[in-house]
Amino acid sequence: MEQLKISGLNFTYPGRDGKDLSDISLTVQKGDFILLFGRSGCGKSTFLKQLKPAIAPYGRRSGRIEYDGTEITELSERDQSSKIGFVSQNPENQIVTDKVWHELAFGLESLGYDNRTIRLRVAEMASFFGIQDWFLKPVNELSGGQRQILNLASVMVMQPEVLLLDEPTSQLDPIAVSGFLAMLRRINEELGVTILLSEHHLEEVLPICSRVLFMEGGRLLLDVTPRELGSCMKRLKSEMTEALPACVKIYAAFSEGETPITVREAKQWLSTQISPAPKSPASPEDKPLFPRRNVQEPAVRLEEIWYRYEKKAEDIVKGVSMEIPQGCLYGIVGGNGVGKSTLLSVIGGVNQPYRGKVKLMGVALPKIPNGERYRGLIGYLPQDPCSLFVRNTVGRDLEDMAYAAFSDRQTAQKRMERVIDFFHLKPLLGRHPYDLSGGEQQCAALAKVLLTDPRIILLDEPTKGIDAVFKKRLSKLFYTLKEQGKTVILVSHDIDFCAHYMDFCALMFNGEIISENETRKFFMGNSFYTTAANRIARGIFPGGLTSEDVIEQCRKNRIGG
Amino acid sequence: MTTENNGRDAFSAYHPVTLFLYFCTVLFFSMFFLHPVLLAISLASVFLYSVLLSGRKAVRFNLLWMLPVTLLIALVNPLLNHSGATILLYVNDNPITLESTVFGLLSAAAFVSVVIGFSCFNVVMTSDKLMYLFGRMIPVLSLMFSMTLRLVPRYKAQIRKISEAQKCIGCDVSQGGIFQRIRNGVHIVSILITWALENAVETADSMKARGFGLKGRTTFSIYSWKRRDKTLLAVQLALLAVVFAGMGMGAFETACFPFVRIAGLSGKSVAFFAAYALFCLLPAIVDGKEYFVWNSLKSAG
Repeated sequence: MEQLKISGLNFTYPGRDGKDLSDISLTVQKGDFILLFGRSGCGKSTFLKQLKPAIAPYGRRSGRIEYDGTEITELSERDQSSKIGFVSQNPENQIVTDKVWHELAFGLESLGYDNRTIRLRVAEMASFFGIQDWFLKPVNELSGGQRQILNLASVMVMQPEVLLLDEPTSQLDPIAVSGFLAMLRRINEELGVTILLSEHHLEEVLPICSRVLFMEGGRLLLDVTPRELGSCMKRLKSEMTEALPACVKIYAAFSEGETPITVREAKQWLSTQISPAPKSPASPEDKPLFPRRNVQEPAVRLEEIWYRYEKKAEDIVKGVSMEIPQGCLYGIVGGNGVGKSTLLSVIGGVNQPYRGKVKLMGVALPKIPNGERYRGLIGYLPQDPCSLFVRNTVGRDLEDMAYAAFSDRQTAQKRMERVIDFFHLKPLLGRHPYDLSGGEQQCAALAKVLLTDPRIILLDEPTKGIDAVFKKRLSKLFYTLKEQGKTVILVSHDIDFCAHYMDFCALMFNGEIISENETRKFFMGNSFYTTAANRIARGIFPGGLTSEDVIEQCRKNRIGG
Repeated sequence: MTTENNGRDAFSAYHPVTLFLYFCTVLFFSMFFLHPVLLAISLASVFLYSVLLSGRKAVRFNLLWMLPVTLLIALVNPLLNHSGATILLYVNDNPITLESTVFGLLSAAAFVSVVIGFSCFNVVMTSDKLMYLFGRMIPVLSLMFSMTLRLVPRYKAQIRKISEAQKCIGCDVSQGGIFQRIRNGVHIVSILITWALENAVETADSMKARGFGLKGRTTFSIYSWKRRDKTLLAVQLALLAVVFAGMGMGAFETACFPFVRIAGLSGKSVAFFAAYALFCLLPAIVDGKEYFVWNSLKSAG
């Protein structure tokens, strides 16, 4: 049954010339699970919000959106708020009240249900979502993943027929992402709720969705099944092909038609394509990719670092010793809450260890005066780049920083110009930092940090909420920084990013560094904590780490085609 | 329904109205009546309840802080207050009177009862319960209260995040000269405000998306009146009736100046005091009963 019928939808934000959505036509059947994907800023959010008039942005709209045959703006406010649910990106901002139970009841209170009904509905949803253990807790004691589940649940209590989700997992760690998506799948399969989801994590969504829409520049370019996506994207030659999961990429490099969408399927396919014993068991070259330069002092040297936030709290960092050579890209990976970010803040001097020594460029950190520390030695980019911005435009923000860092106005100006060029910030200078997309914010913040020309750059989750194209751009910036002899240390959940671009990787677990190696060897040693491409190629091509590796090795062995 | 203290205390799981009534009564009588028997009852029962609620921590707090405070008030009062007719001795030509010594002791006991009473109140009357009680009267206010309680820890965390971030670019309040520091501090606050406003837009959207602003909003609560709540309330009201009768008959009358005059004990007034004691000890009685029931269940099983 047709639930939503969109025909010829156009939308323009006030004061803009081009159309932000142009000529979108689409029919959504009851029970569809639709994935909406495209670069950030391609109009996904704008489109989703059009389907919920209560929060639709102000602007010029033409075309029709019909919900069950009625024009959507003519639905009563009551129907609209209960039938169409909306979950957005930031888990924090959507929570209104201080207690979990109250948040769950919020929507039903608005609709004016009595106590008995609310009690029942809330109990039902809490059981469905497994919330009962933290039902009475204050919201600020929840983890990010739990908060987003709470947001979903507090929309679901209103028993919506359509659920709109705008990049709901972009702020979550990988485990929380899986948990959230599994919940969506249950909602779709067990309750039959129609879902429209915009998302960057294709790898996990493709297997569970029924249709994929690809948007670019406010247009709807593709409306296909998940299995058709690979070959269609290839035909489009879009730069977003980069974002496809490894299983799709590898298959689409050789064959047309329907691609596998899980690691299992890709592995099965790969093994049917290959002769049982590959000619040369292509092992990774033994010579290190980036020889360690032992002559120099290491950029960072940690000697048995111990850290905890409060005297009576538990240790977060437990006796970490490591050496990070100068001029390399170093990634620290690991699950949620293992102490990665804390370790980074200790390296950056934000937090002082209660035992052990931090040495930067051979000098003990406490001996470096504050003035020098953050003026040319350390550049630290926190997880939330917004906490760095001070002024209301990007340009003035940079200016402020430059004049504070350099007493000489001319040097400041020069330095600023260099940074602006380096990050291609020219078009963004007049914008408010908060209005930028996640990737642009990351760049603007990084630019600000790099103004002082630090030799060691510390980054906390720089790829969070950024699309594939921007990630690639970021990696190019990192390479340039490396060429300039800078050391870049980043903490990340993003295994693929680290596997692609880092020279060294370390795995952190339970406050300790468990393993550390050159990236290739590092990931080859892990069987689960590794890239999807590696999992696909395992036992077939021992050396495949990235999908490009696997494709290349496939070519070498003359398979496929 | 909710036990915030690891299930140690059964009384706090009763309906908020009964709990509120309990605290109001105890605090009222300890504040406004100086009758030594009454005070002894109040003090003993809030002390007992605080121990039931917080265990060893409460004992330590009471002895470490409350005992010295009691002594201090009891000592200082006669030194400063010289009214009263019975002079005991002179200190630096100032008379120390019996009346003001007694008054000091009694008011110290009252003060300590109130402080311990409030510490119990804090543990038992969680924001949920208070909101339930007052939200009935002013629903909008209770929602605002709840939202504020959500925002305060958020802002605190964000301020910390921002100042850490600013520290790393050399711009937090611990760096630079005094003017630079002030400037940095102002910047941090201004970032917080921008951040808060920016996020508030999304929160508003989330509220609107869930139908906020529709007519006929209701207020949900997780509390309901069970039979035991009604029984407890009935017992409380009955006891209170007796206590107020005693109050009306002047059984609790106490005056310290110019002479110490304390209403004496008679058969009738013993009954009033007993009623008050019973009321004050309700938490202990409820907890005690629970304890024995558990033990007998355990040994039976």
